[in-house]
Amino acid sequence: MRPTDPITAGAPAAQASVRPPLPVKLVVAGGFGVGKTTAVGSISEIEPLTTEAAITEVAAGVDDLSHTPSKTTTTVAMDFGCLTIDPTLKLYLFGTPGQERFGFMWDDIVEGAVGGLVIVDTRRLDDCYAAVDYFEHKQIPFAVAVNAFDGKVEHDLDEVRWALDVADGVPLLVFDARERGSVRDALLVVLEQALHRAEN
Amino acid sequence: MAEGRTPRGAGGDGATPVGPVPAVRPFLVTAGRVAGAGRATTGRAMPVETQVVATVAGLEALGRLSFEQHDIVAACRVPQSLAEIASRLRLHLNVVRVLAEDLRVEGHLTVHVPDSGVTHDASVLRRVIDGLRAVPDSRGVLRETD
Repeated sequence: MRPTDPITAGAPAAQASVRPPLPVKLVVAGGFGVGKTTAVGSISEIEPLTTEAAITEVAAGVDDLSHTPSKTTTTVAMDFGCLTIDPTLKLYLFGTPGQERFGFMWDDIVEGAVGGLVIVDTRRLDDCYAAVDYFEHKQIPFAVAVNAFDGKVEHDLDEVRWALDVADGVPLLVFDARERGSVRDALLVVLEQALHRAEN
Repeated sequence: MAEGRTPRGAGGDGATPVGPVPAVRPFLVTAGRVAGAGRATTGRAMPVETQVVATVAGLEALGRLSFEQHDIVAACRVPQSLAEIASRLRLHLNVVRVLAEDLRVEGHLTVHVPDSGVTHDASVLRRVIDGLRAVPDSRGVLRETD
């Protein structure tokens, strides 16, 4: 099986010395400071990298920039990491900027993702609404993970599910973004969702 | 320096940056083009995880390449995603998309856009799941099997 689809047509001189792995992408979403980068760093084989991407469109009406209307281009940072499964397969984890007005950016990151993990801080539940709505709208398999800061969760999961109004089929779990095994298990829940989707 | 360039679209779509200084350099690098060149083959921007690899010809041409083009080809001795290139070379993602497409056309790089049908295939997902399950709870400690 060819792991990727090289677009080398029109480049007869092209001769790759190395065949790259197939990249499988998961997206880690949630509000600002909710633990996205911590989660990525807990499982990634590299220190999380940051890259800046330009946003050239800002959603009208919901942004904080309305008082500076001349600013039509802004830059957001996104953190990401990766995990080599085997020489032909590599898992990429991309953290999306959490704010609603970065909707444009999400498409840029999420395109092609097999699933998403929405991280929730129960003290600021509404920070994750945008992410939940986004994955539902895009019909991307996802799970909601409550980050247990200091091992504590302020609300029980039924309350969280009710407050977020997520469908019963969406897994809801508690995890610790600092714990590698905990992040691994949360990502496995997302991948199982994606597999279930692929098989049905 | 910019032979073979067609600075189409420069400012023509209203996307010319007006404010921040850091936004100027990327547009100089791409001769005013914005991301979209990468859409030529796929109809949409190349995904951030798209893998890029230097070709033998590209590595042989390193001495003749300059600045960002040189750095990208050199970095891609090892397969890299567009996001990794952008991060490590401190370039805007959309600049990397444009330059990677240029370098591909010139034969210096191969660009491997992941096939969504393949990455979403159940057999691939099972391999990712199996691989992830083998990750130990903490670094350097083997995890007990379930």
